[in-house]
Amino acid sequence: MVKFLRMLAISAREGTATRKYPFESSLVTPEFRGRVDIDPAKCVGCGACVRICPPSALTLNYESDEVVLKYFIGRCIFCGMCAYVCPQDAITITKEFELATPELNDLYDEVVHTAVKCNVCGKPFTTVKLVKEVEKRIDGGDMSPLFNTCPECRRKLTARRVGSGVTGVSVE
Amino acid sequence: MFSDLERLRPMDSIARGPRSLAILNKLADVCGDSILDVTRDGITIRITLKAGCLRKALETIYSEHDLYFRTLTASDERREEGVYKLYYVLGIDSEGTNLVIEVPVPEAVEIYTASDLFRASDWYELEAHDLFGIRFNGRTLRRLVLPEDWPEDLHPLRKDVSVEELRELYQPQMISRVVTELGVEEVVRIPIGPYHPALHEPEYFELYVRGEKVVDARYIGFMVHRGIEKLAESMKYDQVPFLAERICGICGFVHSTSYVQAVEDALNIEVPERAEFIRSIVLEVERLHSHLLWLGVALHLLGYDTGFMHAWRIREKIMVLAELLTGSRKTYGIALVGGVKKDIAQDTVSKVKETLDRLKREYREFVDVATSVPQVRARLTGTGILPRGEARAYSLVGPTVRGSGLARDVRKDYTYAAYHYVSFNVPVYTEGDNLARTLVRVDEVFESISILEQLIDMLPSGPIMVESWETQPMKLGIGSVEAPRGEVIHVVVTGHYSPYRWRVRAPTYQNLQAVPIMLKGVDLADAPLTIASIDPCFSCTDRATIINLRSGSVKTVPIEIISRRGSGRG
Ligand code: SF4
Ligand code: SF4
Repeated sequence: MVKFLRMLAISAREGTATRKYPFESSLVTPEFRGRVDIDPAKCVGCGACVRICPPSALTLNYESDEVVLKYFIGRCIFCGMCAYVCPQDAITITKEFELATPELNDLYDEVVHTAVKCNVCGKPFTTVKLVKEVEKRIDGGDMSPLFNTCPECRRKLTARRVGSGVTGVSVE
Repeated sequence: MFSDLERLRPMDSIARGPRSLAILNKLADVCGDSILDVTRDGITIRITLKAGCLRKALETIYSEHDLYFRTLTASDERREEGVYKLYYVLGIDSEGTNLVIEVPVPEAVEIYTASDLFRASDWYELEAHDLFGIRFNGRTLRRLVLPEDWPEDLHPLRKDVSVEELRELYQPQMISRVVTELGVEEVVRIPIGPYHPALHEPEYFELYVRGEKVVDARYIGFMVHRGIEKLAESMKYDQVPFLAERICGICGFVHSTSYVQAVEDALNIEVPERAEFIRSIVLEVERLHSHLLWLGVALHLLGYDTGFMHAWRIREKIMVLAELLTGSRKTYGIALVGGVKKDIAQDTVSKVKETLDRLKREYREFVDVATSVPQVRARLTGTGILPRGEARAYSLVGPTVRGSGLARDVRKDYTYAAYHYVSFNVPVYTEGDNLARTLVRVDEVFESISILEQLIDMLPSGPIMVESWETQPMKLGIGSVEAPRGEVIHVVVTGHYSPYRWRVRAPTYQNLQAVPIMLKGVDLADAPLTIASIDPCFSCTDRATIINLRSGSVKTVPIEIISRRGSGRG
């Protein structure tokens, strides 16, 4: 019984199985999911990607005049959900996976948006581009008086309106 | 309530067949008025039972030959219904029926143990006690999943405990020791979940040996309890699959699929056919890579590294195939509630076929040689025996149970995804030794290849995702998948935006409890392979402690070293 010697023939036939990466290109198929790339021209800062991102690699940060969409590659699990949900097709999944770096900042990517401040409380709450996009989509619908009011103040206003039985919107 | 015969008649309409009818009638006989409700939804029969009759009910049915104890889920529903709930999920294998015994447990009510009947119940009860504070009588309660120094009355899965509070309330003793013994004033705390990974490995065996023979074994585990069930309660439905997939680095897709199936079951979501096919295809690809991985590791433990290398060379083609199909070699990330998020392109189909053809050829050639190597065969034969009766009593799963003569396979028994469209065999061996468990996996690779060929040929066209679905709170759903290691079962109680309760049971949880039985009487050198024969999710740096009863010596050694001792034999 020297059947097991047949393995030698198989080895000779197959030769070396490993690739000499990094001297040879690595094996990445066309379907591979690497880091994501956000196109600042297309992104409107709606935050859909932020809400679905399972490990919170994407965050929306409200600063006084800006709303910043931040992507931290260090947390990203390359699931592609952000690209899947983005209504603007602003996110592409790249094939990049060689992401190690000694520089922490290399692991961040940002899209900076101009903020819309609430005309009641003054807090930044959305982006100029998103307001425009919504206006475009509802096409003439009469929502505009509330566009510049943050959801929290809007709730209060509505409650007051209903409470006093006044119809129509008045925003001071 | 169901005591008189008139009331019993509805059992006929609820039962799915003669087996479930017989079991339901027995339960009605012994519990009568204690049965609060009986309903059926699809393959799941749900009996709500007063806590007082649970023991009697389980005593009546535990010896039914085809009844399998699959999981016990505790849930804190005090906010909704004023009680805790216990869901005993049993399966009637021969009929493919889920039998859920739902027991409302008011605060401070104690439950009599079932661990002497269904032996698998042991860990489940300890876990329900640890995480919810539910007390079980007639047995010793000890810590199972929480660390020894966890505060006495803090039960983390109760709804009134938040994750933030847990971080505040639990400070590993290690830290206070460092503070007092080393006199350091400030310790930087790095919170890693509610548990600290102070111990090196998630699994740990103590082997008691006399000379070279193992006389007993003890298992200590649950050292990296990650608290993910709690975490999921604050994640959205479609975020949880990605967390679920990270339960296991080898067979993650079985978890994301079980989870989405549980949600779909709870909310009656109909998944498009094409999505069902894609799920089955990816699940079988996962089984192929996992079995080849295991085969390689087993051969390595047996000292046959040539075989190990070839197993992994062949496996590499499957990894590339997985990436082509899903976008990733592992953690495929395509399972979502209601379908899958990635379609299979037409030119991928031909690549899949090509790979399968090559795989079949190369694998047959390899496995033929590898299983004929004399020292491999000699060391597998007759070692680590698990008798059929024990396999049944412990409700074991996967190749472990199929190596002991039971044909349990949830792909057939409780079919899901696209498995009912294909024909395949469930390989069963009766010897119960390491060889039997090995051969089950060896044969299953051929079956998986054949399943894949059939699925690819029949792949229907159409959508891969439902258009929309809606949540409803407090619905119960069960999702189970035949993972490479055996059944994975997830139980979900739905909430508004997130699972209200998500209970995960992996196959190793079920199978590990039987390892001490397999280990008794084996040569020390065969212990590592015996442990590995259930294919636990092991890390290559795992350690075993050997306590020599004669000399009283204790030593900790790498697991490979023990195994290599046996390589000269055979
Ligand atoms: S979902 Fe798209 S548009 Fe919205 S914030 Fe993210 S990248 Fe921008
Ligand atoms: S790929 Fe996944 S983890 Fe990474 S940013 Fe997108 S959603 Fe988040």
